[in-house]
Amino acid sequence: MAGLAVALGIAMAGIPREHAALPAVARYAMEVALPRWGLTEPVNEIVYGTRGFDTFGETFLLLAAVVSVVVITRSREARRGYFGESQAGQREQQEGDPAKPADAGEQEARAAERREQDDPAYGDPRPLETPDDEPLGTPAPEMAEAMTVVTRTAIRMALPILAVAGLYLVAWGYSPGGGFPGGAVLAGVLLFIYAAYGRRRIAGVVRPGLLEGIEMAGASAIILTELLGLLLRGSFSANWLPLAPPQTILSGGIAQLFSASELIEVGTGLAIAIFALIGMGHDWTPDETNSTGESNSTTSQGGGES
Amino acid sequence: MTIPALASLLPLPVAIPLAGGVTAPLLARVSRRLTVAVSLIALTGSAAILLLAAPTVFGGRVIAHYMGHWTPVHGQVLGVAFAADPFGLLVALAAAIIGGILLLYTLSELGGLGRRELGGYACLFQLLIAAVIGAALTADLINLFVWFEVAALSSYGLAGFFLERPIALESAFKLLVLTTLASFAVFIGAGLEYAQHGALNFAQLHHALAGHVTAPDTIALGLMLAGFATKAGLVPFHGWLPDVHTAAPGPVNALFSAIMDSIGVVAIARLVFQVYGTGSTPVLGLLMTLGIVSALLGAIMALAQDDLKRLLAYDTISQIGIIVVGFAAGNPAGVAGAVYHLVNHAAFKALLFLAAGAVVHRTGLTSLSQMGGLARSMPVVAAAFVLGSLSIAGIPPLNGYVSLSLIHEGLQQDHQTIPYLLTLASQVITAAALGRAAWLAFFRPRGQDYEWRERLRPGMLTGLVSLGACCVAFGAAGPLVLRRLMAPAAAGLLAPARYASAVLAGSGPIPVLRVPFDYGSPAELASVAATVAVAAVLAWVYLRIREPLPVRALRALHTGSANDYAAYAVTGILAVVAVLSLA
Amino acid sequence: MILVNYLAAVALLCIGLYAVLTRRNMIKMVMGLSLMEASTYLFMISLAYRAGSTAPVLLNPPPGKSTQSLVHGNVADPVLQNFCLTAVVIGVAVTAVFLSVVVRIVQHYRTLDSDRVRDLRG
Repeated sequence: MAGLAVALGIAMAGIPREHAALPAVARYAMEVALPRWGLTEPVNEIVYGTRGFDTFGETFLLLAAVVSVVVITRSREARRGYFGESQAGQREQQEGDPAKPADAGEQEARAAERREQDDPAYGDPRPLETPDDEPLGTPAPEMAEAMTVVTRTAIRMALPILAVAGLYLVAWGYSPGGGFPGGAVLAGVLLFIYAAYGRRRIAGVVRPGLLEGIEMAGASAIILTELLGLLLRGSFSANWLPLAPPQTILSGGIAQLFSASELIEVGTGLAIAIFALIGMGHDWTPDETNSTGESNSTTSQGGGES
Repeated sequence: MTIPALASLLPLPVAIPLAGGVTAPLLARVSRRLTVAVSLIALTGSAAILLLAAPTVFGGRVIAHYMGHWTPVHGQVLGVAFAADPFGLLVALAAAIIGGILLLYTLSELGGLGRRELGGYACLFQLLIAAVIGAALTADLINLFVWFEVAALSSYGLAGFFLERPIALESAFKLLVLTTLASFAVFIGAGLEYAQHGALNFAQLHHALAGHVTAPDTIALGLMLAGFATKAGLVPFHGWLPDVHTAAPGPVNALFSAIMDSIGVVAIARLVFQVYGTGSTPVLGLLMTLGIVSALLGAIMALAQDDLKRLLAYDTISQIGIIVVGFAAGNPAGVAGAVYHLVNHAAFKALLFLAAGAVVHRTGLTSLSQMGGLARSMPVVAAAFVLGSLSIAGIPPLNGYVSLSLIHEGLQQDHQTIPYLLTLASQVITAAALGRAAWLAFFRPRGQDYEWRERLRPGMLTGLVSLGACCVAFGAAGPLVLRRLMAPAAAGLLAPARYASAVLAGSGPIPVLRVPFDYGSPAELASVAATVAVAAVLAWVYLRIREPLPVRALRALHTGSANDYAAYAVTGILAVVAVLSLA
Repeated sequence: MILVNYLAAVALLCIGLYAVLTRRNMIKMVMGLSLMEASTYLFMISLAYRAGSTAPVLLNPPPGKSTQSLVHGNVADPVLQNFCLTAVVIGVAVTAVFLSVVVRIVQHYRTLDSDRVRDLRG
């Protein structure tokens, strides 16, 4: 560990610091940003123009991550035919559990779970709408679906501002091209609605099929943008849209188109990933507190226990 | 087609599988067959475009294309470059073709999966193949890093695919920790390089480094080597390999071993030969050491395993070690042999893993001690496994013989006797391990018979047969393949100055390299015969004795805890950086 | 003085690495890796700095400079800021996958201790 620190320290001391000249790529980006692309922000010009191919690869990086999260958090589906892996899996699960004695931490956790289920105060199966509906002093107000009226009102006020801010980042910003942060902000907007109002309100919008479709559409749009550069201008990431004056919404040629598709893809991708994580069930392992062998598939409500 | 037009088509082999991956989840909801068809069309299209460029490139040229027409200005590269030299094109072709075969096999074997699962699986599979093609063809450091990351993220989802197996998730966690550490190492190394020279293009870096290699440069090289070695699976960065291969589905194992590990090897070869040059740092000696240690450790651990796929995983570590030994020899025979072995490894390791995966998929058994007598119930799978084992052992006329002989010749030319003997020793142990596995799984007579007979779907059969045919073809047509494909690849690697000027100019020739190869050389044939004989004896002995102490000690070192594997990897990073800087 | 930033990035990296190597709780290992990611962001942005420069934005330049002088003058390196964007996206993606894997492991093994999640060894 110390060795690594020393090695990296030596490296840091050796590299040129703030008095070094600007590398040619950076200087060239500054020079062409305004005249050739009409963008007043060279960083965007680099992200979507000069090194647009890196951003292209990055889009699919995020796509791979989102699909990986969806694959890992999926619930059981019907399968046809014999799958040796399921047999192996069942065998490994059964071999695993009895062989290891439960340690102190695990026993405490299971005892707490049992207490929670037996206590009549916790036992009300009807999910509450909001904590405002309960009398003061009841335990576990967090089991309600939505949040208190204060939170809901505050979020209801903040949401439109945030949504517009996100879209502004993409459309305008300093000049077009804020796809990534815009996408993150829009995913944040969805999260806010979920946090304030609970799962039922958001279930209509956050349907996996719908969001995945939109995300793949965004990714396809990005591939098409780059491909059309190849077809129309002879090179993969070349600009094929006519340029507009800087600081207008259409300036930057394909940078704007790329960035808008990026917004769709990143926003929906992050939303899919987050809601997949939240809605992860317990399908794949038998839960010993229930009857043995029964698969226990509950999706969590606003609180989140299974 | 003119060379610039041909070069501008180079990004398409990456974009088409990406498009296939993007449409896969949506198609899977509609129809499974449609998913298979579209994916295969995507990979065939990608391979077709690569084949279009093949005659020009393998004839001895490097063609380069700058994305968006951002051509270099006064030797300063502004945009991202894609350069197809024979080495990169060979690896990309291997990835596309073998990836296509694997895709057909896997979607047919796992065709019974639920719709959404299948869509996600097909998507990740194609993204991984596209990333490998991209990494093989790129000539830019950060672009290489981006494709490396895309491959890594796809591998996380594929490793943990069968969620009902607890070991799948455990192995996915270890894969995550080690690959994330590796990506940090590569990223910091790339950042150091950019800060030092203001350049990311391989050609421009080559010119900048040809003069004078400073301390931050060597530290950056060490970091990047360590990062890519983790992906390749060299010791001591190999902690994730055996675990991930035990738990993932068979075709995914084939994909990882055959195709994903080659990203690491390609990146190491490019950095060492084409960017930094071999003269300025003791990097070849370091690679030789890492390669030999990996070869020996992989072989010994493979002999001791009980789980079939874990055994094959350790064999992958061993083979990658031999490939790196070939690169570290540094002369035309060694480098050509290493490139040949990389392609051969893709073919025979895919064949072996597909056979092992088929066994697990049909029987649900994973450990060798429980299997036995499968040759009667699964004849085609048994034949595939035997063919793969014979290829690894290096028996003529299969493909392993040609590549291993070339590597031996490379080592002998430079009078490196100790590495040569150690490589032979690892080959003997590997052959013994595979022989033992084949005996225990397929040919050992079992008490009770299995109740069913094999039922291979057409896709699976096609896959096994085509891979087996590749093994035979690459072996029988050895000298032809050597002259046409491998020698140009080695020439591209060993002539970095020509590569650099070609990339900056957009296209350029590379010198023709003659790699003499005597197919029926008596010394080689004798050593093969001796190898097989000693291996058979070793396997017979090992089946009867208890585990010897050194082997038990080695197995105890592989504790299985993610912290420990991370500690080994960090120690490895430090050792690599120290050796490069201080020697 | 940008050397201080570099050394701070190295220190953060080592702290994160220490957490990954010595902590057995898997969530703490994930946090250690997040810390290492943050150190690479710091490193990249510090690499981009040039003495006496301003942000690489050509709109409303600071008083005393015109757009033309910025183009030919000294700004912070925008290419490295692109790398930092790349690294941020990678960090988010990897953390998401990490956390979903950890939750699934806990469902199977019922423990967050990486020493007890060791079915695959040898």
